[in-house]
Amino acid sequence: MSAETKPKGELYKRVDTISKLIRNQFAFLRQDRLAFAGMIVVAGFAFLGVFGPFLAPHDPIEYTVRNNAGSLLRLSPPTGAALFGTTAYGKDILSQFLAGARPTFIVGLFGGLGTGAIGFLVGLVSGYYGGWVDEILMRLTDLTFSLPFMPMALLLLTFVTPSVWLMTAIIAGFLWKMPARVVRSEVLSVRERTFVKSARASGASNLRTMLYHVAPNVLPIGFLYTAYGIAWAIAAQASLAFLGFGDPTMTSWGRMLRQVFESGNIRIAWWWVFPPAIAIAAVTTSVFLIGRAYEEVINPEIQVDQ
Amino acid sequence: MSNFQRFLAKRLAISILLTLVAVSVIFVVLRLLPGSPFEALVTAGNLNQEQITEIRSLYGLDKSIWAQYISYMSSILTFQFGYSILRSQPVWSVLEPRLVNTLILLVPALVTTAVLSSSLGMYVGWNRGSFLEKFSIISTTFLRSTPVFITGIIFIIIFAYNLDIVPAFGMRSVAASPEGYLDTFVSLDFLHHYILPFTVAVVYYSGDFLLLARNGVVEKRGSEFLKLHRAKGLSEMQQLARAGRNSMLPILTYFALRLGMIFQGLILLEVVFGWPGIGRELVLAIQQQDYPLVQAAVFIMALAVIIANLAADVLYAYFDPTVSTGGGGSA
Repeated sequence: MSAETKPKGELYKRVDTISKLIRNQFAFLRQDRLAFAGMIVVAGFAFLGVFGPFLAPHDPIEYTVRNNAGSLLRLSPPTGAALFGTTAYGKDILSQFLAGARPTFIVGLFGGLGTGAIGFLVGLVSGYYGGWVDEILMRLTDLTFSLPFMPMALLLLTFVTPSVWLMTAIIAGFLWKMPARVVRSEVLSVRERTFVKSARASGASNLRTMLYHVAPNVLPIGFLYTAYGIAWAIAAQASLAFLGFGDPTMTSWGRMLRQVFESGNIRIAWWWVFPPAIAIAAVTTSVFLIGRAYEEVINPEIQVDQ
Repeated sequence: MSNFQRFLAKRLAISILLTLVAVSVIFVVLRLLPGSPFEALVTAGNLNQEQITEIRSLYGLDKSIWAQYISYMSSILTFQFGYSILRSQPVWSVLEPRLVNTLILLVPALVTTAVLSSSLGMYVGWNRGSFLEKFSIISTTFLRSTPVFITGIIFIIIFAYNLDIVPAFGMRSVAASPEGYLDTFVSLDFLHHYILPFTVAVVYYSGDFLLLARNGVVEKRGSEFLKLHRAKGLSEMQQLARAGRNSMLPILTYFALRLGMIFQGLILLEVVFGWPGIGRELVLAIQQQDYPLVQAAVFIMALAVIIANLAADVLYAYFDPTVSTGGGGSA
């Protein structure tokens, strides 16, 4: 049911509803100061993820910072020439920081969306159809639970050259189990409600009932777990890159931390450690804070303020 | 058979099946890996063709893939892990001390945080809207969502490098050469190395327990049985104790699940602190393509999770009569 086939007025009404929806969400997040702060951090992160590499004053890997005499500036604290200081190899940390946002952003966003989408679909189908479909899908979920994520991801990444998209696929391929279980148990209770039964009784097909009557009612929890999925994916990407299993062609925040740790410079080069460390911590925390705000709507019993 | 027994039998059968499938997946993934540990030796020119054939047949690599699979399954399921290729030691004698090191770090940390964070969570859940509640939620959200290696690095910078009160790396000081577990773990030197990674593990695990306990108590707070206790004249703390006891089940099952995952170690924590645990050993083994070591380590990790899952399911079904044990599988 695409909007183009409808008369113009209908289309405007639709756009209006959507913009109202977005404005409502915004107003809702404004009420929760923590979630609002989280939203600002996430927006800044998204901006860096898209435009970061263009903002970087120098190439993060090729360019080396030199002083007036022309010699390499190794491990220089922040100065005018390099606002965030330099690495042990004389690279500009500000440029690495700005460029490093992108892989973190790509893996976080798509890993999270993939996690949410797969998990939602599996949970929906499994909970709605029940029976042997449920049995197979849930045993598959059990299997991904029993295979340890980090070791399996490391194994797979040694076997194929790591790339950002491969990491995204691996992360989504392991994390979908979380939303799948939660969505399934929600579907189990929605399925028994009267409006679902009346839809079936009035002749709606199984597929239609599932997609139009059951799915919208479990969508909020799907979104919530997509948000959590984004935070997990960012943490997983940073962790893999820190262990040296990241995309070797791209600077990422996790890789910056690996380099400073491996070179043994965390003792002195605080300017090299803090930008990526604080950025990762701030983004993952912010995503969780936003998620919590929504969790309180879904489950009003756990609100902080009465 | 009673319902509960039937449920138990079904879960047990599923767990066994899962173990078989998980072990097969590990086999397939390892066979897909390009290269073998011998390639490095061959290209270095240290082995002639005859020696290569000899070693290949020693490890059974000249047999068909099915024969390899069968012998792999029969030996790994009977806990015969074979010989580490690069260390020339039985795999188990490499893994056992590493696993012990991991457990001695993480089990006390998990127990500590389960007790402390759950109690704090119950307390703040009872006193909703307090400053303490907001503060504890923000700080634990931060601590549980930040990757553990970042927390670790920050703790190292503060406590090891700047305040200089604890060492940053390893489990014992370089000069120490202890014999046996007792000698290794019962010493001030060990405690000195232990305290920082232990603290990081405690704060990392704290978030989930705190939130579970808080949400449980908050949900119970308005319920009828507490009104009765209030009418009976119990003090606030006595009421909280009863509300807390009734929200123990999710915490207990979560504890069981986490306990299973501990066998994986906290890979990143172990790497950052140079802790000679099973997770760090696995990363090294993967980098060196030491198949027998990798497959044994992953097998132990998977088995622990499967057993813990089983335990959590059974605990839930046993303690919560509203969970149906007759019909479907896991809750």
